[in-house]
Amino acid sequence: MKRFRSALGAMAAAMLVAACGGSNTESAMENPSTSHGTLVENPPLRIASLDATTFGTQLASTGPSGQQLLQLTGAPTCGVDFYYIKFYTLGGAGEVTMSSGALMVPTGAAPACSGPRPIVLYAHGTQTNKALNLADITNTSNTEGALIAAMFAAQGYIVVAPNYAGYDISTLGYHPFLNAVQQSGEMIDALSAARTALPKTFAASTTDSGKLFLTGYSEGGHVAMATQRALQAAGATVTAAAPMSGPYALEALVDAVFYGQVNVGSTVFSPLLTTSYQKAYGNIYTATTDIYTTTYATGIDTLLPSVTPIDSIIASGKLPQLALFDNVTPVVTIPGDPTTSAVLTAALAVPSDPNNPNTPLFAAGFGEPSLITNNYRVSYALDAAANPDGALPTPKAGVPLAAVAPTQTFRKAAYVNDMRNGNWAPTEPTLLCGGDQDPTVFFSVNTQVMQAFWSALPAGLVTVLDVGGTPAGPFAAIQTGFQTSEAQLFAFYQTAAGGGLSPAAAEQQIIAGYHTNVAPFCSLAARSFFSQF
Amino acid sequence: MKMKLTLRALPVVLTTLTAAAAICHTTLAHADEVPSNTVRVGMYVIFYHVKASDISGPYTPAGVNVDLKNTQTAYFGYIRRLNSYLDLELAFGVPPNTKTIGKGPATLGSVPYNGQTIATAKWLAPSALIEYKFFSESAALRPYIGVGVNYTSFYDRQVTGAGAAGTGGPTRLSLTSSVGPVGTVGLKYQFGTRWSVNASYNISQVDTNLKTDTAGVIRTSRVHFGPQALVIAAGYSF
Repeated sequence: MKRFRSALGAMAAAMLVAACGGSNTESAMENPSTSHGTLVENPPLRIASLDATTFGTQLASTGPSGQQLLQLTGAPTCGVDFYYIKFYTLGGAGEVTMSSGALMVPTGAAPACSGPRPIVLYAHGTQTNKALNLADITNTSNTEGALIAAMFAAQGYIVVAPNYAGYDISTLGYHPFLNAVQQSGEMIDALSAARTALPKTFAASTTDSGKLFLTGYSEGGHVAMATQRALQAAGATVTAAAPMSGPYALEALVDAVFYGQVNVGSTVFSPLLTTSYQKAYGNIYTATTDIYTTTYATGIDTLLPSVTPIDSIIASGKLPQLALFDNVTPVVTIPGDPTTSAVLTAALAVPSDPNNPNTPLFAAGFGEPSLITNNYRVSYALDAAANPDGALPTPKAGVPLAAVAPTQTFRKAAYVNDMRNGNWAPTEPTLLCGGDQDPTVFFSVNTQVMQAFWSALPAGLVTVLDVGGTPAGPFAAIQTGFQTSEAQLFAFYQTAAGGGLSPAAAEQQIIAGYHTNVAPFCSLAARSFFSQF
Repeated sequence: MKMKLTLRALPVVLTTLTAAAAICHTTLAHADEVPSNTVRVGMYVIFYHVKASDISGPYTPAGVNVDLKNTQTAYFGYIRRLNSYLDLELAFGVPPNTKTIGKGPATLGSVPYNGQTIATAKWLAPSALIEYKFFSESAALRPYIGVGVNYTSFYDRQVTGAGAAGTGGPTRLSLTSSVGPVGTVGLKYQFGTRWSVNASYNISQVDTNLKTDTAGVIRTSRVHFGPQALVIAAGYSF
């Protein structure tokens, strides 16, 4: 028995020696720091690696939209590695939060696909889907991720695009929507994290050339411009910028909406905006019923973004589809000023001007139950009347300045985040692209206001492109392409395959999709613009 | 070629071995002179019959699975004679460095996957078995059957470059240890009192929970390895 025990002991010892003999591969290094701009895991996860041929094939297989996108962007020159970066940033009130985003790295043998490459820092448009992840190219609903990958990364640009705080893994609990300081800070944090990650990626031979291009669409247009302002203030290099269809002159845009020019998507933008500013400034309301009717007030401060599809949210009665304002016109009473009271009451009526082609669009934003109370609308309008914006309702002479001293807290927040503020102007070449018929982010109230605001800058520093305008100049082909595409779409909606709509109904569809349809054409213009530098 | 031997096939194998042993039956030394301890040295030839759930987790396409490459390694055994018919065997091998092979899509995106060696791990897999020997102590050729328990742990777990390309970066691989039944059928031929040779075929149940961690992204699979091993060994009794 003794020998038996010895043999067992020897075997156990052998097992222990063997068990201690190995080490295991490690995952990415996790940085314990939570200071903003810190990359959490390095190297980051590569979600997918697609060579140029595979990426082109995958885009083409997604149907007409993918094929049209390929037509516009051209066949991929480079493969693209899609990295999922996680980084720390600050929320609207300075809260530390983790955020995430995409780092898209061009790959392949073509000269444009490796070595020193420029970076495009991209800001995405408004999304209601909290699970948004631009890096996840495997998700077919990630159309904006596919657009920027095909437009920029597959043509040799390194792309950095945050998902924004409040989305994906961020635990912030709200999105700092159109908060210029927060969103520009997050863009810079994402850029810092991506630059940390880049040397550790599989395609480490693709390096940062030092050229930095800024762009973004819609909300992201505002973010791109705010980022340009912040980087300039920090003395950092910006090679060129191309904000697209953004609500730059935010105070003017919100004034326009409260005056009755209700934009498409306003019932989604409103809760995003009021929650963002309430979290950042704490003075927008004491209760959501200060702004919202009792039908919608409960829970509206946590409604968006959401993993529940927006159509389901609307269908469940938590948000109206169109009725931003009450169709019963509020009566404004300013003590001792019956004239202004009457003018303002008239200004708040449901739009009915038969000579304005936008009247049906604006009027559609009125109904019952409405999202915003008449009392709140009046309080905003009183401030707008007392401290008018330089752009509207009646344009003032000279450059269209923002209101000097708004007092209503929400209007003041819009003023603070209006890009006419900050005592700045672009010092690098800047392209402002949009479409003049945009029913969501009005071209005249935003792009053209900024154009006028910067009219004294050296010629050629700021270029404005209206893809809906008469084709001319270096972007004529893009203008023609957009207008041809819209015409084809208008004809398609009237075919059986397109729904067999009447011309009027087809026109409504065109209007509904206009803001989205401009995006790829302005992105192409941005790429063309960047290629000059 | 993989051997398709399962536990259900054991009676058939056993009958065959018994018949063969009867033909070769010869007389050996008296039971009183039989030593109590035997050590064996030989070779394991291991065939895996992997059944795994598709790897699940974020950013993982459908149908991503794994397989293992068959392998061989040195076998060591200690056999304690309990009586004329029963032995206790403690068996282990030099932990083989097994290769995990990608099974499923030809590529993940544009990264080759199917058939690629994506990970390696060493198996420490000792077994303890009680074996029943047929025929009398004096028979030179004695078939036997046995049942027991196997313990398997995995170490030196490495995800290869091809594996990391598939998972999306440097990846930590963990495999839970396994305790499961093992069965054996064998045939021992005794040369005199001290020396013997034997051949056996073992079937084990080795299951593990596979988990990978790539930059905080966790993916999992339940893997049934189904190892079957042919053992050829020489023994010395004392």
